[in-house]
Amino acid sequence: MNIGHLYLLLLKGTVTAFAGLASLPVIQESLVDHYHVLTNEQLNEAVVITRSSPGPVGLYVVSVGYFAGGLPGAVAGWLAMITPALLIIPMVHFVGRRMQHPRVRSVLQTIVITSAGLLLAAAIPLGRDGLTGAITWAIAVICFILLLTTKFDTLWMILGAALVSLTASSVGLMAYL
Amino acid sequence: MAHDLNHGAPVADLQDERPSVGQIADVFVRYANFTLGGGSATTAVIHGEIVGKRGWVSEEQFGLSFALGRLTPGTNLLAFCTGIGWGLRRWTGAIVALLAASIPCTLFVVIITALFAEWQENPFAQAAIKGAIAAAVAVTVKTVWTIAHPHFRPGNRIRAVLIGATAFALHTFAGISPIDVLLLAVVIGFLLSASS
Repeated sequence: MNIGHLYLLLLKGTVTAFAGLASLPVIQESLVDHYHVLTNEQLNEAVVITRSSPGPVGLYVVSVGYFAGGLPGAVAGWLAMITPALLIIPMVHFVGRRMQHPRVRSVLQTIVITSAGLLLAAAIPLGRDGLTGAITWAIAVICFILLLTTKFDTLWMILGAALVSLTASSVGLMAYL
Repeated sequence: MAHDLNHGAPVADLQDERPSVGQIADVFVRYANFTLGGGSATTAVIHGEIVGKRGWVSEEQFGLSFALGRLTPGTNLLAFCTGIGWGLRRWTGAIVALLAASIPCTLFVVIITALFAEWQENPFAQAAIKGAIAAAVAVTVKTVWTIAHPHFRPGNRIRAVLIGATAFALHTFAGISPIDVLLLAVVIGFLLSASS
């Protein structure tokens, strides 16, 4: 895929999302479902990589770009990640007080909640690809409960999950992963 | 004369105290890239450095950039850093802050991604990756709640559930693309504000 095209597809995701992973449904639809330059497994791996390393969650777009187009793809991902940030300049300069206007707030709130609904929809194929046995299901459920009820850093959770599945594999339970 | 981040109004004669481009780059390279724990933790670290320790911006200026950063599309943390940089040295500050806050962590992720592709050939790594991916699915589902819960307030819950469930159903069952669902959300948000 042409790198400029990849940048525009990734930008379509980042510029229409208001949180790191909220761009995932749009990117999934473009790169996985439509252009087939990425798999749901790679999308999951991109999330693993960025949640296991320092920096913002939105960095997963860089991993996605790398998987789809190698190093030039990673550059496209980086550009798609940073481009929307420049929009804060006109916002700070011109729109500051209007951001409190009820109509603006209502539109933004609706977009954010819609992003959440779309992200839940996007998690279905990710789960279908990633949760393939009793142990991976158990890991996902336990991690989800821990994420809701504790302040464990996701880095330690992902490392712990990796250790559990590695242990399960080494004691002959690979078929349950 | 330094200016208010909001409307260009003068707030204090800080010109002599404006940080240099090198200082801005130094702070954002060090504190925006390597903090674990997500955007909130990173923002707290940057607050301690540029408001508490160095006094580059006021609490109000910091708060404005933080609030607008959350309302800017894309990665909130990068928008926040760009807003702070803009307040410090206008375009130069904004670009330097954005590059400094994004390049080092991007390089780190590229290296890890490249290694990840190598590790996939190793059977032990494959087993570990399966567990890590299961955790990542949980993280993705939990992010749904992270995004939605600030709007899940008393008096607003039914509206939040209806909007979220409709978006989910339109994409999952009706096959409408995420972009079209988001555009529809803009219209619905506008109409809901007009009717309330």
